[in-house]
Amino acid sequence: MEVREHREELLKRIPALRISFLTLLVAIGAAYWFVQVIRGEYYRELAENNRLRRIPVQPIRGLIFDREGRLLVDNVPSYNLRIDRSRSADVDRSLRFAAETLERPLEELAAQLDRQASAPVFTPVLLAESLSLSQVARFSTAALEHPEFEIDVGHLRLYRHGPMTAHLLGYLGEVTEQDLREGKGDYRPGDLRGKRGIERAFDGELQGERGQRQVIVDSRGRVRDDFATHPARPGRNLRLELDLELQQVAARYLGERVGAAVALDPRDGAVLVMASSPTYNPNLFARRLDRSEWQRLVEAPHDPLQNRVIQNTFAPGSVYKVVVAVAGLMDRAVSPSETVYCGGATRIYNRRFRCWYRAGHGRVNLREAIKRSCDVYFYYLGQKLGITRIAHYSRLFGLGRETGLDLGGERAGLVPDLEWSLGVRGSTWYPGETISVAIGQGPLLVTPLQVATMMAVVANGGHLVTPRVLASSPPAPPRETGLDPEALAFVDEALWAVVNEAGTGAAAKVPGFDIAGKTGTAQVFEQKTWLDNEDLPFEKRDHAWFAAYGPGDDPTLVVVVLVQHGGEGSRQAAPLARMIYEKYFDDRQPVAPS
Amino acid sequence: MRSTSTIASLSPLPDERLAFRSLANVRWGLLVAALLLSLIGLATVHSASLELQVDYLPRQSVRLAIALVACAIALSVDYQLLTKFALPIYLTSLVLLVVVLFAGRQAGGARSWLEIGAAQLQPSDFAKLATTLMLARYLANVNRRYLGVRQILAAGGLTAAPMVLVALEPDLGGAAMFVPILGVMLLVCGVRWRFVLGAAIAVLLVGTGLWFFVMMDYQRQRVQTYFSPESEPLGAGYQLRQSKIAVGSGQLDGRGYLQGTQSQLRFLPARHTDFIFAVLAEEWGFLGVATVLVLYAAFFLNGIKVAMRGRDRAGILLVMGLMAGIGFHVLYNTAMVVGLVPITGIPLPFLSYGGSFTVANFVATGMILGVDFRRYVNR
Repeated sequence: MEVREHREELLKRIPALRISFLTLLVAIGAAYWFVQVIRGEYYRELAENNRLRRIPVQPIRGLIFDREGRLLVDNVPSYNLRIDRSRSADVDRSLRFAAETLERPLEELAAQLDRQASAPVFTPVLLAESLSLSQVARFSTAALEHPEFEIDVGHLRLYRHGPMTAHLLGYLGEVTEQDLREGKGDYRPGDLRGKRGIERAFDGELQGERGQRQVIVDSRGRVRDDFATHPARPGRNLRLELDLELQQVAARYLGERVGAAVALDPRDGAVLVMASSPTYNPNLFARRLDRSEWQRLVEAPHDPLQNRVIQNTFAPGSVYKVVVAVAGLMDRAVSPSETVYCGGATRIYNRRFRCWYRAGHGRVNLREAIKRSCDVYFYYLGQKLGITRIAHYSRLFGLGRETGLDLGGERAGLVPDLEWSLGVRGSTWYPGETISVAIGQGPLLVTPLQVATMMAVVANGGHLVTPRVLASSPPAPPRETGLDPEALAFVDEALWAVVNEAGTGAAAKVPGFDIAGKTGTAQVFEQKTWLDNEDLPFEKRDHAWFAAYGPGDDPTLVVVVLVQHGGEGSRQAAPLARMIYEKYFDDRQPVAPS
Repeated sequence: MRSTSTIASLSPLPDERLAFRSLANVRWGLLVAALLLSLIGLATVHSASLELQVDYLPRQSVRLAIALVACAIALSVDYQLLTKFALPIYLTSLVLLVVVLFAGRQAGGARSWLEIGAAQLQPSDFAKLATTLMLARYLANVNRRYLGVRQILAAGGLTAAPMVLVALEPDLGGAAMFVPILGVMLLVCGVRWRFVLGAAIAVLLVGTGLWFFVMMDYQRQRVQTYFSPESEPLGAGYQLRQSKIAVGSGQLDGRGYLQGTQSQLRFLPARHTDFIFAVLAEEWGFLGVATVLVLYAAFFLNGIKVAMRGRDRAGILLVMGLMAGIGFHVLYNTAMVVGLVPITGIPLPFLSYGGSFTVANFVATGMILGVDFRRYVNR
């Protein structure tokens, strides 16, 4: 019975153990309550992060057409090689394999990977583009050994007319770290964005909107199922005002020359031609050109990357006489009947100023002075007007500031006056400079596009148009310049004579069509002795200008041609203007000569 | 009670009648709880193994059937008979533990499995039962209010032998599971506070001594990762993180059966064995967790009821020792899955996939019911 006694002893201790056990069980239950109910939302999110992976879907970039709907920029499929670093046992070994298979330098691939180092390690990053089919096959064969490589089909830009439209259309390039930092647009490392031209100016429209595929992955990152797809919105197609056929004429003519050609509609500013030479092949950029190719382009003579129509400024030469003539008429500094004697040179402010025509034009009135581009006449007119009035009228013609072209990236040029001289240049204005400016020399600087809008003012009877390359944008209403229509009409008639009455622009005459225009020869180098331009070294030869509009009383096309170091405008620049008009009128109703 | 004895005395076959009536008075709630938990376990094992090459549901069903047969046998064998043979049973289990060290199948870095034909057996599961039996027998015969030093040391020695062998496999988690069995049985027998305090101080001193004077750097490192798994993001840290995500994302009502993303997309490791409770928590939410915890509570309250009405020391001690073994597994595993205690390889009784573990738990259940059943028979 002793056993019985001590049995009771045992039973006394059991309730304490029961309470301890139940307390612990309740405490554990409370922990589950905390994790599941109170913190449940947080863990649910972590679970979703675990299983859902977002794969960006690249939108197809918008196509670009000319005004007639001819395709200028296309997208062509291209095989891209991506690497998922999280699946690579040894990234260096993977890179060596890729370099060998692609026959590309290892450093290039390593650098490409480096640029995307900030991307999450399990996100496949772009290693190379435009693989050949045999290269694709080799990566597929090695898939077991190298599961880290993925091939996807992307798109490459194809500029169908290559160098001919290079400056206008621009090209794409990889986004820079800076773009990403500034957070402009929806870019990710490795993305492409427009770097120049249309591609840059309208990058937002062309780009479209990235889509997203959400997939369910397992713990090894293998895709199990689609969860949700948000399709990419393709980029907008753009139609340009460009006329491809005219552009081709211009580009072919400029060919080996250095220069620019621009054509626009004087009624609404539509840009039909925008050519610059030398040029480059933008299709090289589509394939992420390597450093050496880029270096070659940057170091090439005459900077092929520059769009000379808007990014370079030049002295306008005699083309500028249009502005000075209108100024003279409106300020009554000169009457149409007044004459000046040109003996090939004159002396003003104790300095000798030459006329380009050494023999001298004899007695000339304003019409003759424009038609035969007499410098001496304009020296006197400039002297009478003074730099302040000349600058005033220059600005009315749109010079000295950006034209507002929708492409952007323009230079403003320079209309010199007294304030500029003191404020910017920091020296006094010499009266002799006014004489130079009167014939479009001196500090005066313009872009070819500015010359075109300037000529458009004469062509449309006093309106300053805002040029545009994009057809879909509604034209900005032309600004009233307040210039006297009679003065403009007088100059207009004189410009007709330049081309049609054996003036300096006779080389631009198109049989059957009325073209008006003005030649210009901008001195690059102040000559001490008279040398024929052909005897000068290339860099010292004059720039040849020709600025024209037509046809007839209702002009629809302004053409401006600049051939750098081309010598006289009549010889080098005018023929291209004629060729452009010939092509332009080819498809249009001939206008009977007035 | 009086009527009971009357019927017994009138019966032509008093023993059989007694046995029948006794069966009606057995705490069947214990078995019902165990069975319900096992059915939940089967469903969860199915969900957890859906993504594996084989569905473990049929296998585990067969094992459950075997376990139920073993349970019935354990119930029918007189525990007093078992305690009589405790020593040979205990020694046999030790021999098996030695054999497994040399002939065992290596799995997960430890030799803990014996292959006998097609069957696989984990001797440590049975060593726990045998040791409980042995301790019950030894402590039942100690006829004192409080245990003396000698008895405590003797009981400790009996426990240490299988523990060391299991630790050598090496299965430290499994070895640790012997401690609560010994602890609970000693406490029930009565231990003076000074011994409890002394034991605590001894553990502290030995632990500190090991840490500073015996352990190598790499061993300290292991202990550190054990207590702060975040420092090892790919090993235990990963397991803990994925387990907590699974549990937490279950929220109140769960993601639905077979719909747990953590389980079905294989983020959760060991999900059909040690982390099966995380699968349940993910798919059934807190409601599922609470249901299972309530079932465990029911199991233990029934078990303790059996202990409380036990007729002799051996029976009470046996029940309490068996309950301690299962109970500590439950507490540790559920606490581990939710991140309260460090991760170690301890499965969840009745729910986790496993053969000998399931059989051992049902044998224990059978033995507890047997003690209850025989409280009238053995007088």
